[in-house]
Amino acid sequence: MRQSSTDKRHFITVSVLVLIGTAVMFWLLDSALPMPIQASIQAQTVDQVFQWTLIAIAFLFSLVVVFMLYTVIVFRRRRGDTGEGEHFEGNTALEIIWTVVPLLLVVLFGYIGVTTLTDITKAQENEVVVQVEGFQWSWLFTYPTDSGEFTSTELVLPVDQPARMEMSSRDVNHSFWIVEMRVKQDVLPGQTTVLRFTPTIEGDYKLRCAELCGLSHWNMLASVRIVSPEEYDAWLAQQSSQAAAITTASN
Amino acid sequence: MSLMSLGIVRGFVWQIAGTIIGIVFAVAMRLMMGMSPWATEPVWVVAILFGSMGFLIGVGSMTDWFKWMVGIDTPMRHGPPKGKPAWTRYFGVDYNHKVIGIQYTITAIFMLAVGGAFAIIFRTELARSGLQFLNPGQYNTFIGMHGWAAIFAIFIGIGGMANYLVPLMIGAEDMAFPRLNAFAFWINIPAIVWLLASLYHGWDAGWTLYPLLSTRGEPGFQFVFLSVFLLGFSSILGSLNLIATMLMMRPKGMSLFRMPIFCWGVMGASIIQLTATQFIAQSFLMLSFERTLGMPFFNPDGGGSPLLFQHLFWFYSHPAVYVWVLPGLGVISEILPVFARKPLFGYRWIALSSIAIALVGFLVWGHHMFTSGYANSLRAPFMLATLLVAVPTGVKFFSWLGTLWGGKLTFPTPMLFALGAISVFLLGGLSGPPLALVGSDLFLHDSYFVIGHFHATIFGGFVFPFLAALYFWYPKVTGRMYNETLGKLHFWIMTPAFWMMSVGQMSVGVMGMRRRIADYDPMLGGMTSSGLSAVEIGQTVVTISAFLIAFSILLMIYNLLNSAEVGALAGNNPWRSRSPEWQIPSPAPEHSYATPIRVVGEPYDYGLPGSTYVTMATAGDD
Repeated sequence: MRQSSTDKRHFITVSVLVLIGTAVMFWLLDSALPMPIQASIQAQTVDQVFQWTLIAIAFLFSLVVVFMLYTVIVFRRRRGDTGEGEHFEGNTALEIIWTVVPLLLVVLFGYIGVTTLTDITKAQENEVVVQVEGFQWSWLFTYPTDSGEFTSTELVLPVDQPARMEMSSRDVNHSFWIVEMRVKQDVLPGQTTVLRFTPTIEGDYKLRCAELCGLSHWNMLASVRIVSPEEYDAWLAQQSSQAAAITTASN
Repeated sequence: MSLMSLGIVRGFVWQIAGTIIGIVFAVAMRLMMGMSPWATEPVWVVAILFGSMGFLIGVGSMTDWFKWMVGIDTPMRHGPPKGKPAWTRYFGVDYNHKVIGIQYTITAIFMLAVGGAFAIIFRTELARSGLQFLNPGQYNTFIGMHGWAAIFAIFIGIGGMANYLVPLMIGAEDMAFPRLNAFAFWINIPAIVWLLASLYHGWDAGWTLYPLLSTRGEPGFQFVFLSVFLLGFSSILGSLNLIATMLMMRPKGMSLFRMPIFCWGVMGASIIQLTATQFIAQSFLMLSFERTLGMPFFNPDGGGSPLLFQHLFWFYSHPAVYVWVLPGLGVISEILPVFARKPLFGYRWIALSSIAIALVGFLVWGHHMFTSGYANSLRAPFMLATLLVAVPTGVKFFSWLGTLWGGKLTFPTPMLFALGAISVFLLGGLSGPPLALVGSDLFLHDSYFVIGHFHATIFGGFVFPFLAALYFWYPKVTGRMYNETLGKLHFWIMTPAFWMMSVGQMSVGVMGMRRRIADYDPMLGGMTSSGLSAVEIGQTVVTISAFLIAFSILLMIYNLLNSAEVGALAGNNPWRSRSPEWQIPSPAPEHSYATPIRVVGEPYDYGLPGSTYVTMATAGDD
């Protein structure tokens, strides 16, 4: 004799299985999605948001899939049975519950989404400002200094100080992305777009164009060096004196 | 029988003739205006327009309308053309919705194969870092071709399911406007020809065709713009026809809430197609005008804005995703009750959730543009609207579980694909929130994570349900059963392979693999302990999975072709379904219903003793 589909034992079993499924799923997702190193303050926020969604994904995924697999096993037709399934057409209370509960989840994630967005895009004091120009298929960085400005083909930034990229394109759309900093911003012709991030780990990184921009899009790269404040100052001084020397020479 | 008696052959001949006339016309115009006679792009634009008209006239899709102009009677044609073999009706203009449905479906499978073939080519290239056998120009063209060929397959596949099934399900004799129906199908053929022809010159902006990349470079772009314009025209006319059919041609007793649930999915999709397709048509025409006529809509040097295009494009192209999935979700809702032998749980909620998804879909286009450079203040409202889509979608998932719960489930191939579709669509849906939340989207946008997400959405929402539908209604279409063993083999190869592919794509995306790059840095995800590149392992897994999926689809094509000859006779109703189309002989006869049907009960009352959904009217009724 099979149990009625509203028997409590079904739901207790499924609940336990969903919990186990959530844990397994979270572990699987976490190992299938290996994050690159976190090299900016924004990366920490972004990864936190991502982790929260992974928990929700793991739970909702196992909720639906465990229920589904459970029905596949428990409510399959037995050999020789030609009857019909139980007859119930719906349940308004249930429908309302599974409309309202997801709505609450939406509100919760909406809150997380908006606050973290504000957090990673807000202006900060003491920003290092670099003018970024993208063009097919390379990058150019312009640094304003006390003695004029100079350009560089590598992006050098001091560690632990907020940086603001003011970006534009010479030709088609490009996109500024350093994986380890996480955040990304398109670079457009005829318009200046802004991206903020605060590097936290010294080292060498790669800036890659993330918006298809033609033949060598795949190869539109620039080196990025995050250095100590002292090293940064030294680099600035050296670059601006070089630039000044070139200006003087050409005069 | 001469080859020229086939409509499609006549169409192609006329298309070539039209194209030549267009070229001559354009060159003559240029000479008269004192310009050099040949300029590839403007000449081809004129040629494409003339050639498309040529096809539509040559195939005969407008013949009756021409006759109407001069007052010649054009009685409805029924049955195969006189004096020709029966199969020839599939290769020419025919007004029967079942013939048109099959024409759409076969064309869709063809385009699915074309789109898949492009994917296989560049997936093979991507299995290892370094450029193997494609150059970046070819690579960039192929990714765009893969995208548009697949989108053609989806739209045409939906046209196939809707055309074949909707009139049958509501007991209608045919669609509301049979000639328009045929016309809407045949527009797709010149569209496909131009899309494939775009390969000759190439184009390298991906399927989204963002300017300013798409307003410079190869003339191949023009072929794509105009091809998509034609496809959109077909969409608008087809959806108009479907809405009119569902609203005006239901039988006595069939309230909207008593339509088979698939019709609700088609209704939601058609509302979007009828009202939003104009936006993509407009945006592509503007691209074409900018290139051909020098109107700088998108070029800031002439006072235009590159962002304008993205808004116009996504205002349609986001809702378009719901066009792709709503009919498919309808197929799932249609199949589950039959094989669970239970009523569809919460019919009205499922029906209305389709409409809710269609409407909310109009408010979320900006989530494709979080990194685009529009005002920061737009990000939060688009994020919240996007998250809202989860609510009606969730209603569908939970109602499906309610449908399965307490049933007596059997698992022939269509049921397996319906369940597979749920699992895959779930993966697609749940990988949405990290992209809907701006913070994580700034990381994941334009990475392979997005690729994994939308392939899961579209496979779960369209491809798996489409395959389920092919197997499910195959007996009704051909009168024979497909081979169950091969069908199951197809499912058991394709589903795990798709899972590996999609998760593999998300995995390399998180490592930093960008979209649309011909080559990638093998060091992206670091090295594994065994000294292999992590991202290469991921890419290889994705490529192998793609090959497995392609193989399984070929297996299906063989199965469907072969079973039409050797399959066991199916009988009227092999699935014991309550839906009207299963109460008539298989294959469905020329005039589907010998007598009008009448609806006397609910569509999905499986397990309610003594209930019926439809009765065939007998003499004396009404």
